[in-house]
Amino acid sequence: MKEKIIEILQDLTGSEEVATNLDLNLFDTGLIDSMATVQLLLELQAQCGVDVPVSEFERSEWETPNKIIAKVESLKA
Amino acid sequence: MNIIQQIDKWSEIIPGATVYDYLGDRRTYSELRKMSDSLAQKLIDLELPKKAPILVFGGQTFEMLVSFLAIVKAGHSYVPLDCESPNERIIQIAEIAKPAACIAVEKLPVKIDGLTILDGEELAEVFAGEEREFDATEYQVSGDDIFYTIFTSGTTGVPKGVQISANNLQSFLNWMKSDFGITAGKTFLAQPAYSFDLSVMSIYPALTQGGKLTVLPKKVTANFKDLFELLPKLKLNIWVSTPSFMDICLLDKHFNEDNYPTITHFLFCGEELTHEAAKKLNERFPNASIYNTYGPTEATVAVSQVLIDENILADYPRLPIGVAKEDTELLIVDEDLHEVPNGTSGELLIIGPSVSIGYLNNPEKTRQAFINYKGRHAYRTGDLAEVDNQGQLLYHGRIDFQVKLHGFRIELEEVDQHLNQVSLVKQATCATKYDANHKATQIVAYVVPEPNDYKSEFALTKVIKKELMTLMMPYMIPQKYVYVESLPLTNNGKVDRKKILNEVNS
Repeated sequence: MKEKIIEILQDLTGSEEVATNLDLNLFDTGLIDSMATVQLLLELQAQCGVDVPVSEFERSEWETPNKIIAKVESLKA
Repeated sequence: MNIIQQIDKWSEIIPGATVYDYLGDRRTYSELRKMSDSLAQKLIDLELPKKAPILVFGGQTFEMLVSFLAIVKAGHSYVPLDCESPNERIIQIAEIAKPAACIAVEKLPVKIDGLTILDGEELAEVFAGEEREFDATEYQVSGDDIFYTIFTSGTTGVPKGVQISANNLQSFLNWMKSDFGITAGKTFLAQPAYSFDLSVMSIYPALTQGGKLTVLPKKVTANFKDLFELLPKLKLNIWVSTPSFMDICLLDKHFNEDNYPTITHFLFCGEELTHEAAKKLNERFPNASIYNTYGPTEATVAVSQVLIDENILADYPRLPIGVAKEDTELLIVDEDLHEVPNGTSGELLIIGPSVSIGYLNNPEKTRQAFINYKGRHAYRTGDLAEVDNQGQLLYHGRIDFQVKLHGFRIELEEVDQHLNQVSLVKQATCATKYDANHKATQIVAYVVPEPNDYKSEFALTKVIKKELMTLMMPYMIPQKYVYVESLPLTNNGKVDRKKILNEVNS
């Protein structure tokens, strides 16, 4: 699951850094904006089968690869 | 009655009714009238050159709307400038527009020599001062006078100012009133920045019909939790947005008729509405009217519409862009500007009273795009389209390298220009990545970097992006960077964008 998420992030941002620095802040660095977030959530739904309750989407809880992985795993559980 | 009179009339009929709601800060028609009158009188006192454009710099607060109205009351045209604009663009626009003054609702981040500035403090003084009688009829813009100028992207990196007259805008408003079944006193969503002409689709239809503008500012839409907490409380009636913004909203499964019972209309413009999004929306809001509209800024927001219902969804896997407004002709022509029969695709030509006179202080670009077609003023859209046997217009993309990304119009050649200005870039070009619905999702830059010591491509990208932030609008900056040793060339020795386009989309 972790690898899949990193792959999605790499494809979305075009950056290898998301694979090596899992505590990278994706919003502050400008790697992801709100439209890219939409694509991220759609990819997570399509490839990982998780339905993210977007009305609960607090940006600070999704700002790094590690946080995204943790979120997806908790939603899967 | 002209547009200004149509708006002012409501301050007599419903003076206490809310005209503007910015996150709970509610303003009335009476306030709009008084504040715009006071500011108009202040502009007259400044004795500015007659009819000269005036810049308005700011976000989406009430003072922006007041400024627009005050400016046209005083006989000038306004040029909206969003406060997110990079300094370079602000300077460029000021150079092109040669404005008589700038109303800085937010503080201007650059100094422009010789420009009269009305800053926030002076504005506050004007609004706090004694109410002054102002008779707009003496000065107001009318007929072919320019009402507003909105700047769009230009191929050479120089923005183009599309001049829209009072007559152009009136033609647009007549159509908004007749073709969409929108009645008086409705609450409109005001989401896009005022420097983007989609905002005109909310502002004037609402104001001339005694309606209300409810603002959804960027700081709210950026965090989805805040967005979905606020959205149902707005009690909107008329939804106006890009399809991209709708994509965000559709992510929330609570976005449906049960939770948003007041929404009666969805109006889309600015980019292609996908079948997938329209179908989903139709399922969520079976009783609302969903309209797809089409038009370039040069013909005042939009010129064609189609109601997306079950039949249209069943008949068209790629949605049509509808039929022309009554006072306008949409012609499909070949390369020699000869009309082609239905079913054949060609360039779309627009003839009608909402077509702009041309670009501000740019005769060369004006000559290229605005032509005399059999004795009539016409705009060459650069869009490929055809008319089918049902009389519906079908959109087939651009003739040149212009793209729509999340509703923003972007010239790839302009992006190239800026990329090549970056100090760490030796040579660069860009291409668009599309999804399965032909929708642009990303701009990908192909860069030959100058020799450098950055340890990773990520670090390099970060520096390049930072420099780009000073040169161009944030929405134009490529999201993804691919580093190469050289760019592919065509037989003529030009950069082969098509090859990169294929690679990006493979």
